[in-house]
Amino acid sequence: MNKLLGLSLGILAAIGGFVDIGDLVFNTAAGATFGYQLMWVIPVGVVGIIVYTEMCGRVAAVSGKAVFDAVRERVGFKAALGALVSSEVVNLMTLAAELGGVAIALQLLSGLPYRWLILLSAIGFAVVIWVTSFNWIERIFGYGGLCMLVFAVAAVKLGPDWAKVGNGFIPHISQNNPLLYAYFVVGLLGAAMTPYEVYFYSSGGIEEEWSPKDIGLNRANAIVGYGLGGTLSLALMVVGATVFLGHGISPEHLGTIALGAGDPLGKVGLLLGIIGIFFAVGGASIDTVFSGAYNLAQFCGWEWGRYRHPKGAPRFTITWLVLLVLAMGIVMTGVDAVVLTEYAVIFSVVALPLTYIPILLVANDKAYMGRYGNGRFANVVGFIYLMIIMAVALTAIPLMILTNAGQN
Amino acid sequence: MIRGEFDIGLHVLDHQLLDKNGRRCGNVDDLAIEGGPGETPEVVALLVGPGYWGERAGWIGRLAGWIGGGAKVRVEWSEVAEIDSAVELKEEAPKLGLGRGDDRFRHYLERIPGAGK
Amino acid sequence: MRTFSSFQGRKVVTQSGEVLGRCADLRGELTGAKLRVTGLCVGRKAWLAHLGVRMHHQHAIVPWGAIVRIEGKRIIVRDDAADTADPAA
Repeated sequence: MNKLLGLSLGILAAIGGFVDIGDLVFNTAAGATFGYQLMWVIPVGVVGIIVYTEMCGRVAAVSGKAVFDAVRERVGFKAALGALVSSEVVNLMTLAAELGGVAIALQLLSGLPYRWLILLSAIGFAVVIWVTSFNWIERIFGYGGLCMLVFAVAAVKLGPDWAKVGNGFIPHISQNNPLLYAYFVVGLLGAAMTPYEVYFYSSGGIEEEWSPKDIGLNRANAIVGYGLGGTLSLALMVVGATVFLGHGISPEHLGTIALGAGDPLGKVGLLLGIIGIFFAVGGASIDTVFSGAYNLAQFCGWEWGRYRHPKGAPRFTITWLVLLVLAMGIVMTGVDAVVLTEYAVIFSVVALPLTYIPILLVANDKAYMGRYGNGRFANVVGFIYLMIIMAVALTAIPLMILTNAGQN
Repeated sequence: MIRGEFDIGLHVLDHQLLDKNGRRCGNVDDLAIEGGPGETPEVVALLVGPGYWGERAGWIGRLAGWIGGGAKVRVEWSEVAEIDSAVELKEEAPKLGLGRGDDRFRHYLERIPGAGK
Repeated sequence: MRTFSSFQGRKVVTQSGEVLGRCADLRGELTGAKLRVTGLCVGRKAWLAHLGVRMHHQHAIVPWGAIVRIEGKRIIVRDDAADTADPAA
């Protein structure tokens, strides 16, 4: 049981990070637009995020450095300041989108007005973070998010054409709309490898006071958590392809996505789907609000962490409170959470290299890592993914403009 | 732990400062060096605080430093206990003038129930 | 008083005008309680080393003793310092 609870960081990082509102939107939309043709992108993203999550968790366990410590030490003050500003902007956009998603899920469950539910969610999160220890935050949202598994059941129950599903794992270029196809590839990779996942995960390792003896636990967290996240992403795409592509519906609302579970499984499926979305998107809100506070505190050298208690890390605490209020203000304007999500994912892709390069550098530094430094496997795979990340970062914005953010 | 010869920018600059109780109390934002050509120069102090960001990154650094409150604290090199993945200090943060921002805000947070849990 | 940032990024030039590259980092030696500055890390490889990419310390170090004067945005070093510096930079 303890071993299972020890995996909660990975599960929260993965459920709340991998299967956040960005993935819900991009995976389902990809399925609804291209059927099973983009299935292959998901394992590519999963392996990448596992490799880098494992690396940054190991760095945290061995050297006590979180990702933004490494960013500031390695890329120079100016670039780190740029990375900080862009990561804060993207984090805030994502947090606002997730908060909107939570309010939508609550609205589907309760029928109360949207804006009241935004306020309620923001206050709810502030209270939960204030009174709950880091471990319990992880467990509540990580394991609550497991309700999302209903989408995996739905995917199987829908009885897709498995030969076609299998064929989707073989990469090929779409003939009819290559630009839109490329935009989805970039979006899916971006949603899978969102920087805040590694910010949250590495700082979370320090919150849990990991030491070198925990590097096995770290590896298990990365593999199980993101393996599970990847499975859910595949399920969402299958559901998107089977339920929506067949009927010409594009899932522009979170409620529509939940219907994907309701279609084959009835009311219970729908309910579990909404509850799963609530916890997954809620977990992502927690991930992003903490990431924003972690990054600023680490850049400035302030005391940080939920494990230090609000009193022990005052500016960190005030930062996450302010971020919650700002995000609430953004969603209150009535901006569409799904649209905000797409922008947040695409902009976060641009910040990817500045996040992942320092992780690779520090994980190789024998001065801090000693015998726990990267092996050849981690370096080769890490380097290949760095190239992929660079390509994705360079093409994200042009593709977004060319495809009118996936609208054509 | 780092000893002997090393690159100062890589191993000291921009690193976390920890006081003697392990409290995080700033980053090394710049270093003060004394001694010119023909002398044996020495790093004499750590320069800590957003007030030093201007020299690091021009007007962007000055703007960020101004937003950050512009504080400047000089910590003599003799206060450094050890250089590891963080720079560890011999004293408690307040005695060196560090961590003042956190200490100031602590008073407000303490009034909210549950701040110590 | 000088600061670390007043060295970083400055052009390092020999007395006869040859540009050796920019100063990426300072080399130091920790002896007892003192941290002495022993040289300038100069050139492109030194920048990579500054990022933490290990180059087995092949990057050029201009010994502090070779510095003639520091003027404006340039650090002037003796001509023989060029031999130790990285020719590719």
